[in-house]
Amino acid sequence: MHIPDNYLSPETCAFMAAAMVPVWTISVRKVKEEISKPKMPLLGIGAAFSFLLMMINVPLPGGTTGHAVGGTLIALLLGPFSACIAVTVALLIQALLFGDGGILAFGANCFNMSFILPFVGYYVYKFVKSRSKTAKGEYFGILLGSYLGINAAALSAAILFGLQPLLFANAAGQPLYCPYPLAVSIPAMTIPHLLVAGVVEAIFTATIFAYIRRTSPGTIYQGAKTKTKAIYGFIAVLVCLTPIGLLAAGTAWGEWRPEEISSVVTGVKALGFVPDGMKNGFSIKAIMPDYTVAGLPDAAAYILSAIAGVALLIILFKVAGSFRKDKEGGTLG
Amino acid sequence: MDNRPPELPGWMTGEEVYIPGKDKSAFVNKSILSVLGLLSRIKTQDTKAASKYMPHAVFMVFGTLLLVVLLSFSRGFTFPMVALVYLLVLLAFMDGRAIRSILKVSLIAALGSALVLLPAALNGSAFTAVLITGKVFAGITAVNLLSHSAKWNDISAAFKRFLVPDLFIFVFDITVKYIYMLGDYLLNMLYALKLRSVGVNRNKYASLSGIGGNLFLRSSEMAGDMYGAMECRGFTGKYRAVKRFRISPADLLFIGANLAIVIAFIYLGRVKK
Amino acid sequence: MIEIENVTYKYPDSEFFALRNISLRIEKGEAVTLLGPNGCGKSTLLKLINGLVFPESGSYRFDGEEITHKKMQKPVFAGKLHQKVGFVFQQSDAQLFCPDVYDEIAFGPRQMGLSEEEVGRRVSDCVELLSIGSLIRRSPYHLSGGEKRKVAIAAVLSMNPEVLVLDEPMNGLDPRTCRWLAGFLKSLHEAGRTVVLTTHNLDLVEELSERSLLFDENHEVAADLPTGSLLDDIELLKRVNLVDECWRGRI
Repeated sequence: MHIPDNYLSPETCAFMAAAMVPVWTISVRKVKEEISKPKMPLLGIGAAFSFLLMMINVPLPGGTTGHAVGGTLIALLLGPFSACIAVTVALLIQALLFGDGGILAFGANCFNMSFILPFVGYYVYKFVKSRSKTAKGEYFGILLGSYLGINAAALSAAILFGLQPLLFANAAGQPLYCPYPLAVSIPAMTIPHLLVAGVVEAIFTATIFAYIRRTSPGTIYQGAKTKTKAIYGFIAVLVCLTPIGLLAAGTAWGEWRPEEISSVVTGVKALGFVPDGMKNGFSIKAIMPDYTVAGLPDAAAYILSAIAGVALLIILFKVAGSFRKDKEGGTLG
Repeated sequence: MDNRPPELPGWMTGEEVYIPGKDKSAFVNKSILSVLGLLSRIKTQDTKAASKYMPHAVFMVFGTLLLVVLLSFSRGFTFPMVALVYLLVLLAFMDGRAIRSILKVSLIAALGSALVLLPAALNGSAFTAVLITGKVFAGITAVNLLSHSAKWNDISAAFKRFLVPDLFIFVFDITVKYIYMLGDYLLNMLYALKLRSVGVNRNKYASLSGIGGNLFLRSSEMAGDMYGAMECRGFTGKYRAVKRFRISPADLLFIGANLAIVIAFIYLGRVKK
Repeated sequence: MIEIENVTYKYPDSEFFALRNISLRIEKGEAVTLLGPNGCGKSTLLKLINGLVFPESGSYRFDGEEITHKKMQKPVFAGKLHQKVGFVFQQSDAQLFCPDVYDEIAFGPRQMGLSEEEVGRRVSDCVELLSIGSLIRRSPYHLSGGEKRKVAIAAVLSMNPEVLVLDEPMNGLDPRTCRWLAGFLKSLHEAGRTVVLTTHNLDLVEELSERSLLFDENHEVAADLPTGSLLDDIELLKRVNLVDECWRGRI
């Protein structure tokens, strides 16, 4: 679900960030209506909750594990605008401090996970709830909302990926960013989400919401704001909790491996591609037109490799040393 | 009223003969490991001592963002390689543990990228696959270098110089702090679940729902406490003054290196066929 | 039953030792209290005994079987250890995660594969033992500190562990409940359970356990003595910074 850096062109990233600006502005304004500006830092707590929610490994059939996002859950608990801000902050922390990637793709990721996911989920839920009036109906609304929410987000990500080879290729026709066209990216992303991730998200959302509803229904976002003073603190508390899931370092890529690879490969096969590279054989020339580092004068290239060599040696020694220190149980300090 | 406890029931007086059934509870252990890693990471960056060899956080933040942007724009291998050499040099200044931590993330990310792009590579887009993988490795190394070199408070403070409003910076700092506090709570709940995972859990999502739900409720309470504290202190929203600092030799060196990077980028761009 | 030999432990990414060269033995049926100043490593030792953390060097054996990280990855092995050793946390908040008290206490037995009838019997027995009958349909999250502690104990007891490990069980309990708990643990002990606990409540320690281990600020074991003698050695207690010069000895 998280789009890493370098898969979307900088132009795409800038565009998506620009698209988010009105969303963020409106969200901040809406949230300010509910809690006063000085109290807004409380949203940080909600962001923290969201971050942690996404760290939790959830069991999948077959004994494997995966992750849920919880965007709809947060929207249900705190309202969609607070959810937007909370997920945004959590994504920022993940990208910047945990270095998972997604600094330039931040706008795009926010668009998918802090805008589309919570809003689609929330409004589908509201729609179903308004039509059904029973507890079962409401529960169904939650399941459907979160399922559709995450699939909408996945579709959006897939489209962003798929447009890249269309729009951003070099003179030789090589894609510069995500190389998979829409015909591949859409099935590759949506199928696993329709079949697995969506179901997981739905169950995750619904069960947690049900627990909270049963234990402490008063903490849940009630919808329309009432401006009586007594409710202020109440609403502030509600608004503060926006669980944002952020994948722990490394697991994001773990998630990619089984689902994405297999569906991409089968998707490619199913669409009748015969890999050209396989026909003509795999050669280095295909990757690098020249053995020398293109564009750099020889002297610079030599100096660079010397510097790189020294740096590598130092790094190797330090890393080896750190293993030894761990074994011996501590340094002199 | 009698304060003495009643007699123990029969089943408690004997020894329990019990062989657990098989069950897959990897999700609990994995979650525990993730949260432990998270807490450890947050704690480590907080205990970092200031070093006069480190450039100031503002420059590091700017330098990192600059590098990530330039990487994204580069269309060939040369610039990423230059960037990589630069990053290797920076890495060599870090201590062994930090290097391991940084490389672990970037290697895993690069590996993941390579796997995702493998089908494309086999289909004629090998250039793209290698390019992106290389950029991913460099970009993630750069960002992790930043988060391992500077205190996170300093990173968020640095954004003030980029004209980001105080409010956002404060939210950022609060979030990190509460990730730690709630993370600790989450860890204990996961431990509790693990300790009572003595057999077959037919309803794993039910257990998770309690944990997730309690996490929310606890964060709710914390927000209420924080709200009360803010009220009591007449909080008006002024957060942090900009700290003045002197430019040090380390800063100048760092700025110089970054200028060289930009020049290299422009130069290589001109050389492009 | 519990054999810990030369165990040293450091938290990951930390320079500091939580446990340093700890050796101790606890036989079946003993009641032992771990004493020591804050941060000396008592809680870490309890986690070790429960198989949550593993020694960096040295070994931990339970019932003759060494407990290692690798072995604990296997659910069957882990499940067995967790059933035999019950752990009551210091923070009862984190220990309870079921929608109501009944489910909370039933959680363990249900996992053990007991019939719903048997589960029900165990739950009602535990509930009666701890006098929490009125709380059965309540949500654990909303209970008071003392009530949560009782529910946590019940939830652990329902699995019928051989060893009961408690981390500062008196924390946050009023004096009356403290006395009640002390008596309760004593009766469990008299029925054959092994009890290991940590506490700062020096008044109740002798009633709870015949033997006490004292930890010092270096994260080592400073003394392993019958409780009475340990508590009377005021110099020792001062040396490890457990008490200060105002401490006049127990009541």
